[in-house]
Amino acid sequence: MEHLAAEVPDPVNLDVGINGGRVERKPRLNPIRVSLVGFLVLAMASWGYILANGDSGFGDLFKLETWKGAASFLGELAGKGKAGTPAFLQLGEWGKAGKLAYETLAMSVLAMGIAGAGVLITFLPAARNVAMGDLAASRSPLWKGLYFVVRGFFIFTRGIPELIMAMIVIFAFSPGILPGAIALGLHNYGILGKLSAEVVENLDPRPARALRTSGAGAFQVLAYGILPQALPQFLTYLLYRWEVVIRTTIVVGLVSAGGLGREFRLDMSFFRYTDVALLLIWYLILVMFVDLASMYLRRLAR
Amino acid sequence: MRSSIASTTLQRPRYRTQDSFFRGRGLLTLLLGVALIWSLTSVNWTGSIVHPGGLSAIGEFFKAAFTPELSGSFLGLTLGSAWTTVAYAVAGICLAVLLGFPLGVLASGVLAKSAGRRVAQVAGFRIVLGFLRAIHELVWAWLFVVALGLSPMAAILALAIPYGGILGRIYADILNDVPQEPLRALRSSGASEWKVLLYGRLPMALPDMLSYSFYRFECAIRAAAIMGFVGIGGLGMQIQLSLGDLFYNEVWTLLYALIGLVLLVDVWSTWLRRSLTQ
Repeated sequence: MEHLAAEVPDPVNLDVGINGGRVERKPRLNPIRVSLVGFLVLAMASWGYILANGDSGFGDLFKLETWKGAASFLGELAGKGKAGTPAFLQLGEWGKAGKLAYETLAMSVLAMGIAGAGVLITFLPAARNVAMGDLAASRSPLWKGLYFVVRGFFIFTRGIPELIMAMIVIFAFSPGILPGAIALGLHNYGILGKLSAEVVENLDPRPARALRTSGAGAFQVLAYGILPQALPQFLTYLLYRWEVVIRTTIVVGLVSAGGLGREFRLDMSFFRYTDVALLLIWYLILVMFVDLASMYLRRLAR
Repeated sequence: MRSSIASTTLQRPRYRTQDSFFRGRGLLTLLLGVALIWSLTSVNWTGSIVHPGGLSAIGEFFKAAFTPELSGSFLGLTLGSAWTTVAYAVAGICLAVLLGFPLGVLASGVLAKSAGRRVAQVAGFRIVLGFLRAIHELVWAWLFVVALGLSPMAAILALAIPYGGILGRIYADILNDVPQEPLRALRSSGASEWKVLLYGRLPMALPDMLSYSFYRFECAIRAAAIMGFVGIGGLGMQIQLSLGDLFYNEVWTLLYALIGLVLLVDVWSTWLRRSLTQ
């Protein structure tokens, strides 16, 4: 039987080459199936672990008192049951929180500046084709080494969340928007660096090759063959990340003591919930403003 | 004069006129430069920027990178909190998909009966999704801890809400962007919009949706790790505790575990995405 099966090609899986010879197909793992099954197992294990733990809080979700507590918290945010005018109805408070929002916006821009400048300096050696592939200026092992160093640095900065980065940075810097911007900048440096290096790896190599064959030097190939293709894409990614960064500024501010985050933490600790509501309103205004600004600027980059 | 060379895999070539420097990328460069200078001026440069003795603390911190804490009991603790972080991330992303999928279908407007209703439905649900994802997961976590009490569910819900918002928005975009011809063929053979969704849009959109969800899973690991800040367990809480006690060696063990975890999920999702986009 086995002999026969080898002779007659399977009509469903036509593993037959052009000349009629049998093509050996390696049994490959199907990534989609493996991933789905793997994730399902992981999901069951996770939910099992969380629910098996007595105080998971899952049961509380179906209790009336939990939702009564949540409703009273929402009421307090809206200023119910508290003496005095809620903060979001006082013009002076709006002004104070607005100044913090202004600082927060500056923090996000500075963070993007730090990340962008860092990436601009280092993204070329992190691209495989520039470091050691067909766009390489030289074959020296130095470039190869640099590739691994920069890529390692990307992985390192990308793997540490902004908040933990801020906890470390605040060791050395005085509180303010600068440590927050550095923490945000470092984390986004890793993300943007990886994305930008991939842009260079995927770009069309023909202009650079044409330049090379017509006698252009390494710098000219870079300036006219690689950067014109890579930079618009880099700017688009930078602006996309800005939208994420503005949402994260408040979180970094919790520890780096800059902008809206600091006040958010204080007001939450002192149960000044109407002030919290005002800060959240400013936060939403900032997020919407940056989303719109980024959309407009991305259109310019095209 | 600018020549147009742009033809990356993501962009079609565009042809522009010479006088567009202050309209297109030139204007963008100018605006970004001005923004950067403005942000630099709003930093208070006059006071002491660096703590006295801060640099030596940072030096000690980085020296500890070469001697992470490797005792058996601490490695056990690290492994345990890494698993807690993964469990929260997985549970959160499960809820996020359950939340994002129906919202995404509604926000794409593909089931709307008339053009007027479609506009209203798309605008309404896009605003809802925008609100869900506008607020950072840690802010949600803090609000949930105050409203519902300190429990793993607070962390999972806090993760699920903004991630549901992001997934819903991307799902809606993907469902709208599928090729229209097969859908027309289905409609001309009498399929209802429900059937067009089920047999036309979803099969075409599923690879992209799956791919993006997995990318978000990678982000969820990092997000779950920082939930420690509001007192919900996992790697983030241990990092915070060890940092507070100035046990830098322990911090580095935990950081390596977190980076390893993120890298592992990154490799997994890249492997999956490569096979999905082929």
